[in-house]
Amino acid sequence: MADIRVEHLTKTFGALRAVDDVSFAFPSGKVTCLLGPSGCGKTTLMRIIAGLEAQTAGAVYFGDHDVSRLSPSKRNIGMVFQYPVVYRGISVYRNIELPLQSMKLSRSERIRRVDEAIYLMGLTASAAQDVSKLDNGTRQKVAVAREVARQPQFILFDEPITNVDAASKLQLKRSLKELTRSLSQTIIYVTHDQTEAMTLADQIALMEEGKIVQCAPPRELYNHPADRFGGWFLGNPGMVFFTAALSGTDGARALASPLFPAPIAVSGATGEASDVTIGIRPEHIRLSADPLPGSVPAQVDRKTVQIGGQYLVALTVDGLANHGFKAKVAPSVGERLPASGPVHVALPLDQVSLFDAAGNRIAATLRPAGAPNRAQ
Amino acid sequence: MNAHPWRQRLYHLVLWVVALAFFMPVLWIFLAAFKSSGELVSPNPVFLFRPTMDNIIRVVQEPNFLDYLRMSFILSIGSVVIAIAVAFLAAYSFSRYRPTGTNFIMFLLLSTRMVPAPAVVLPIFLMYTALGWAKTFHGMILFYVMFSIPFSLWILKGFLDGVSLRYDETALVNGGSRLHTMFRVVLPQVKPGLVAAFIFNIIFVWNEFLFNYILGGQGTTMIPVLLATGVKQGGMTDWSFIAAISFIYMLPLILAIYVFQRYLLVGMTFGTVRGEV
Repeated sequence: MADIRVEHLTKTFGALRAVDDVSFAFPSGKVTCLLGPSGCGKTTLMRIIAGLEAQTAGAVYFGDHDVSRLSPSKRNIGMVFQYPVVYRGISVYRNIELPLQSMKLSRSERIRRVDEAIYLMGLTASAAQDVSKLDNGTRQKVAVAREVARQPQFILFDEPITNVDAASKLQLKRSLKELTRSLSQTIIYVTHDQTEAMTLADQIALMEEGKIVQCAPPRELYNHPADRFGGWFLGNPGMVFFTAALSGTDGARALASPLFPAPIAVSGATGEASDVTIGIRPEHIRLSADPLPGSVPAQVDRKTVQIGGQYLVALTVDGLANHGFKAKVAPSVGERLPASGPVHVALPLDQVSLFDAAGNRIAATLRPAGAPNRAQ
Repeated sequence: MNAHPWRQRLYHLVLWVVALAFFMPVLWIFLAAFKSSGELVSPNPVFLFRPTMDNIIRVVQEPNFLDYLRMSFILSIGSVVIAIAVAFLAAYSFSRYRPTGTNFIMFLLLSTRMVPAPAVVLPIFLMYTALGWAKTFHGMILFYVMFSIPFSLWILKGFLDGVSLRYDETALVNGGSRLHTMFRVVLPQVKPGLVAAFIFNIIFVWNEFLFNYILGGQGTTMIPVLLATGVKQGGMTDWSFIAAISFIYMLPLILAIYVFQRYLLVGMTFGTVRGEV
């Protein structure tokens, strides 16, 4: 098994830099999700890797081989598109078998591969059916099975679940999860859906404006975003941000904000003292009708129930420059909170991220002033 | 849209009346084929009559009829099949590679169908005479191919535009060549378009008279020319003969249209429904 590497890959469309000097390695045997908002260049990057789009600059390597100038048919890859591509008028079985016919395989090997792919994707019951009669979700399974049966070196998925109805979506996601685990193949999976990425990926490469801004396993990416974009993009809702003042010098830094009852000691942050941004996930914010350790008074503006029974609580804290924010609390907590009125809010310091003026994460540890610095 | 039941019945009645009015000449021909000459030219229309096969038998025994019928089949099917093959290749290129000025080129190609036939028959005749193609089989086939390509191209391009580019890309990624992609993957997706183009063009060639009369020779005459030129008997127009020939000649086309009518409908609405498929 080989990895996929791209080096200084750039693709421009007129003045637009869809892929902007990306150097990155997709490790072998792992599922890497390219995640980002629409138009961030993730599909273009994948299409360049597939050979369906020519790069403006840079190179693509499969293992040690430079495949930059190779046609898609010679790259030995499988690709599943957003829209289920199936050959209408023929059965599921024939759809999967069709590309194998040009591969000079023995009949028994062909049958074995098709049967295996059908079994893996749970298509046994519909194998003899005409694909024209299937729903989009099953058609997409057929498209995936066709690629799996070919046993290519790499499989690329371009938002394969997007055009599938809600019921089939869950089923397809489960099938893909099982498939990726059983294949142990180098897989690139493009999506703008973070839940999909979190479910399927071994690692997520987060893209913004043509660049990969961070790559990490899903949990790490979620808990420790490298910049404000990562914090904002991931989560539902994303991280909430507040501006705060970082004062003092190296070794004796203090962070002041109306969200803390007293200045917070900051260690690890270097450079000039300045305004910074505090970021915290809404579900990490603690709320209570009674005072909590390290809490400040706040006002509930409204609370709404979300899917799963969690409450989304809109709050304001006196003195906060950027006024309201939202916290997400468990049903047991949310039920005890007033629909509006005073509450107490606390930000657990181990869950707080700091970002500099450019939006990049500051590697710093926060502790209540006067508490021993365990980081040292 | 839900109309009142009585109003809906009225609409249906009007539709039936209009459809039957359109069908009347065809019905007249069909009935005439089985009438005697006397019944056919009688000043008072004869609705009840004893059907006779004499006209049909006479037509089949006519020395040139079967040769002309055979030529109608060969020229129609041959030229339309060639035209569709060429048009598919051209439509694929226009749809997938979109050369500069695609729309204008397509307009130019179709313009030959916009000119009235009598206006172009002379220049084409002169051209054919100069090339030595007049009254030849290949000249006649080429002419019908040329006339069938533009319309087929328009129909097929509409269909190909509706087939997502992802089909081509999947086939390429799956290791297929461009030809494999075109013929094994994309072509089956536009089957309704191919049938629609075939039927539309065969209707034209099957019934074409003027060019076959001017450009064709003894070995390339089709039935419409026989209908127009060989139907005099004793200085009079032989209507029984016309009716019998027409009846026989219309049958294959009516049968084909009946079998493939759903494709005709798709062909007539091509380009109106788009999207990834």
